[in-house]
Amino acid sequence: MLSLFSVVFTFLALFLLIPGLFISRRLRLHFSLKNIIRFYKITASKYGDERNDERPMGEKEKRAKNRMPKHVAVILDGNRRWAEKRGLGTSDGHEAGVKRLMENAKDCFAMGTNTISLFAFSTENWERPEDEVNCLMALFKKHFKSEMPYFQRDKIKISVIGNRAKISQSLLGLIEEVEEATKSYEGKQLIIAIDYSGRFDILQACKNLATKVKDGLIQVEDIDEKAMENELMTKCSEFPNPDLLIRTSGEQRISNFFLWQSAYTELYFPNVLWPDFGEAEYLDALTWYQQRQRRFGRRV
Amino acid sequence: MDLNQSMRLLSSWIAQIGGLGLDLLWRFIHLVVSLWYIVSGIIEAVESYAISLGLNKKYSSINIEKLRCLAVVVDIEEARDVSKVIELLQWLRTIGVKQVGLFDSQGLLKKSKDMILGTVPGSVLSEEIGEKNSSPDQNPLALEFISSSDNKEAVMKAANILLQDYLKSSRPENDKGENFFTETHLNEALRVVGENVHAPDLLLVYGPIRSHLGFPAWRLRYTEIVHMGSLNYMRYGSLLKAIHKFTGVHQNYGT
Repeated sequence: MLSLFSVVFTFLALFLLIPGLFISRRLRLHFSLKNIIRFYKITASKYGDERNDERPMGEKEKRAKNRMPKHVAVILDGNRRWAEKRGLGTSDGHEAGVKRLMENAKDCFAMGTNTISLFAFSTENWERPEDEVNCLMALFKKHFKSEMPYFQRDKIKISVIGNRAKISQSLLGLIEEVEEATKSYEGKQLIIAIDYSGRFDILQACKNLATKVKDGLIQVEDIDEKAMENELMTKCSEFPNPDLLIRTSGEQRISNFFLWQSAYTELYFPNVLWPDFGEAEYLDALTWYQQRQRRFGRRV
Repeated sequence: MDLNQSMRLLSSWIAQIGGLGLDLLWRFIHLVVSLWYIVSGIIEAVESYAISLGLNKKYSSINIEKLRCLAVVVDIEEARDVSKVIELLQWLRTIGVKQVGLFDSQGLLKKSKDMILGTVPGSVLSEEIGEKNSSPDQNPLALEFISSSDNKEAVMKAANILLQDYLKSSRPENDKGENFFTETHLNEALRVVGENVHAPDLLLVYGPIRSHLGFPAWRLRYTEIVHMGSLNYMRYGSLLKAIHKFTGVHQNYGT
């Protein structure tokens, strides 16, 4: 009787606690939340761990292999609105956004994601007020310096993609330093898109191909979709096409991010501002992703 | 059996039981999330029927002028049922949409173009709008049929045109093509290969996947993307709600 009661009690506790994790974002039982997230990380990494599995795989196991996204792209939207809601300045919103960014990146890697791409600054963002742009550039400089030990300790390769023409020399130097210091790392990659535009990406790929033809490195007949994809800025990644693209703040568009690469990317548009997008929200996104049936345009 | 062996055996059992427990917990989390989405789906279905019946006054008038171009992406499995696509187009015409791009990756809807144009009253090909001086229908529904060949393949053809222009031109040795490979040039080249470069304002995705399924990437820059679920279970109320929500969206285009 006692054991039956304890089983029922455990079931009810889980049934009430886990829905609370999704339904109420105000629920902050840190001890329980951390333990649940820890359980999840261990289980999720079990699904994504192919390296140690030497058994021949059946159909079900093959499907399980594909259930963790290898490449997650994030459009970090909502920093300004987050700050406005709290009566704070825009710079506070961006600071909170960057802090959330590093926390989420650590969680993603812990869960077995290989590549994380972050749309940190778009080409259109240059039109924002000058002090906001300066604040963002200063934040990039500050965090490239402060997070370097973490990148090196956890062996995370850093790649910055975008049009570097307008970036200041000091930031450019820092970017090159971080990229050089982490270029040999494999298995985890953080791609940061600064002054990036999907259309610009396609155009620069065309230019690169033109230059190669002009220099005699390739023939015109060799130019196809594969050649194009090898010239896009995401060529720095082992997984150039994102499996999952998250855009926070409830806006439902990709705003010129990874236009070519996102043909079969699962699009997830949660209605939460980026600084509020934490572990529970990422868990929700991942669970949602795992329930999708991806066919990459092919017939079932 | 000595103590070490016993300990190893015990550890192995604990690891297996622990693994099973974690597996069950993970599946339980999936179950809870699935139930949550089922409940959300039921609420959405009820709301959709209420909208269809006109019970919700908020959706009785829509500022359709803001929606200049709508695109519909249909999963290839669902594109086989052209009757549902026709029904959707009739609904869109009722709402007042004037221009619709229909996309499926394999071009099945392109192949059924004649049937669709013959069945949906007042529909014409978008390239024919303006060619006919007088149309019996004062509010035609302009249709554009798009497939994957209009995406990357078209961009490659356009890129080849720019490449040919670049190679033929007389240019300085260190010219990397800055004046040849611009958005304006690529837009023009896409028009030359017969592609429409106008970006749809709203993209409705019908199918199990929440992805644009290879819709022409060049055109998707600021397009609102809404997943509508399966075409087989489409609802007029959901369509009206999606369009109404779009008319209330304010974009800052990154600025």
